[in-house]
Amino acid sequence: MKYLTGLLLPLMLCGCETVQPWERGILSKDEMQWQPNVMETRLRNQVYASKEASSGGTGAAGGGCGCN
Amino acid sequence: MASSTHEERNKTLAALTSSALLLPAYNVAVADAPPDFTEIGMRYSKYTEDDLPAKKVFGGRSQRMDVDVAQFHLLAPVSDDWSVAVDVGWEDLSGASPWFVGESLADDGDPKVAMSGASIEDTRTEVSVTTRYYFDTGTAGINYTYSDEDDYESNALSLDGSLNSDDGLTTYSASVSASDDDITPTQGNYPTNTLAATKDIRSAWIGVSRIISKRALMRFGLSYTYRDGYLTDPYKYKDNRPDERKEWTASVGYRQFFVEQNAALHVDYRYFDDDWDIASQTLDVAWIQNVGQDITVAPFIRYYTQDRAKFFSVVVNDDDDNNYFSDDYRLSAFGAFSYGLRLNYEIGNWSINADAERYQTDESWGLYSGEESPALVDSWRYGVGLSYVFK
Repeated sequence: MKYLTGLLLPLMLCGCETVQPWERGILSKDEMQWQPNVMETRLRNQVYASKEASSGGTGAAGGGCGCN
Repeated sequence: MASSTHEERNKTLAALTSSALLLPAYNVAVADAPPDFTEIGMRYSKYTEDDLPAKKVFGGRSQRMDVDVAQFHLLAPVSDDWSVAVDVGWEDLSGASPWFVGESLADDGDPKVAMSGASIEDTRTEVSVTTRYYFDTGTAGINYTYSDEDDYESNALSLDGSLNSDDGLTTYSASVSASDDDITPTQGNYPTNTLAATKDIRSAWIGVSRIISKRALMRFGLSYTYRDGYLTDPYKYKDNRPDERKEWTASVGYRQFFVEQNAALHVDYRYFDDDWDIASQTLDVAWIQNVGQDITVAPFIRYYTQDRAKFFSVVVNDDDDNNYFSDDYRLSAFGAFSYGLRLNYEIGNWSINADAERYQTDESWGLYSGEESPALVDSWRYGVGLSYVFK
C-alpha cells in the first residue's frame, strides 16, 4: 500500500496546468509516445517476461508461451 | 451558432490530442485517433544468450539459447473512425536450457548447472489482430492473439477502452483479457513433468494518463493477473509449483520534451508483487535525441530487481519435504542491468531503425537478498526494421 501511495502521490500533488488543444503539438511528437516502436516493444517485453519472474504493467496480460 | 461550432471544433481537437496519445492496451501502442494512412513494417531480431562458464556447469562450458525473430506489422484505417492492426511474429529457437542445479562433489559442494544438452529446437508463430473504434471522447478495441509452438498453444482475447475528459487533459483507460493455453511438452532425452496440461490467464488493468504541461505527460496504471493451471516448468527436473498465482502491478510513466535540446526523456517504473512472495521493481529510462530532421538516437538503460519465490532454492535436495520446490534461476533473487541504443532514420515515406541491447544479471545487484543461482543469464538482443507509410 505504501508503494501505491508513493506512486499516486505525484498525480495528486502535481500542479497540472491547463493546456489548450492547439498547444499540444509537442506532446503529439513521435518521440513523446508511450511506446515508440510497436514491434520492438513487443519483443523486448517478451524477452524480459521469459527471463524474469514478473511481467505486465502496461495493459492486461496476454497469453503465455513456452519460452525457455 | 458560431460559438457552438467553435466549441465543437475545440472538443474534436481536444479528443485528437488527449493525454492518451498512446494508450497502453494489450501491450500494443494505440493512438487515440485513427491513422491517416496505412503503415506496414517488418523487422528481424536476434536474441542470443552467453555461454555458461565452465566453473558453473557440469560437463564444461555450455551453450544456451539462440532465437531468430521475424516480425510483420500492419496498421490501416478502415474508415474515419475505425482501424485494424495485424501483427505476425515468427521465432526459431535452438540451444540448451538449465535442467537442474546440483552440488558438485569435486568443488566442495559448489552448486553447478546440469544443462538439457543442445536438444531444444522449436519454432513459434504468433498472429495478433486488433480492431479499434474511435469516438469523440475515446476509443474501444478488441484483440485476438494466437500463438503456436511445438509444445505450447495459446488463444487470448482482450477488450480495452478509453475515455477522455472534456478538456482532453486526462484519459481513463481499462482493459481485460483471457487466455487459454495448452502445454504438450516435446518428449526427448529426459522425462518431462507432464505429458499434457492446461493453463488459464485472466487479467485486468486500469490506467489514467494526464497532460501536465505543454511538454510533459504522466500516466499511472494498476493491474491484476490470475494464473490458474499447470504453472510448473515441464522440462525442469526439480520443479513443482503451485497451480495458482495472483499478481499485482502498479506503474508510473513520465514523458518530458526539452525544446532546447530537441530531445525527449522517458521514465517508467513498475512495482510487481505476487502470492509466491516474488516482488520486483523495474526502472526504465531513455533519452530520445533528434539529430537534424530525420534521425533520432536513443540510448536507454533499464534496472530490474526481484525477490525469490518462497519455494525457490539454489539446490533442491531430494530429501526436502516440501510440497513445492524449484531451482529455476528465474525464481531466484537477482538484479539485472540492461542498456542499449536505438537509431531511427526517416527517408520520405520510409523509416529504417536498428537497435542493440545488452542484458546482464548478478545476485549482488539486487535490492533483495538471496543466494545466487549459477544459472543466471546474460544476453544480447539486436534488430533491424523497415517501415513504410502509404501517403
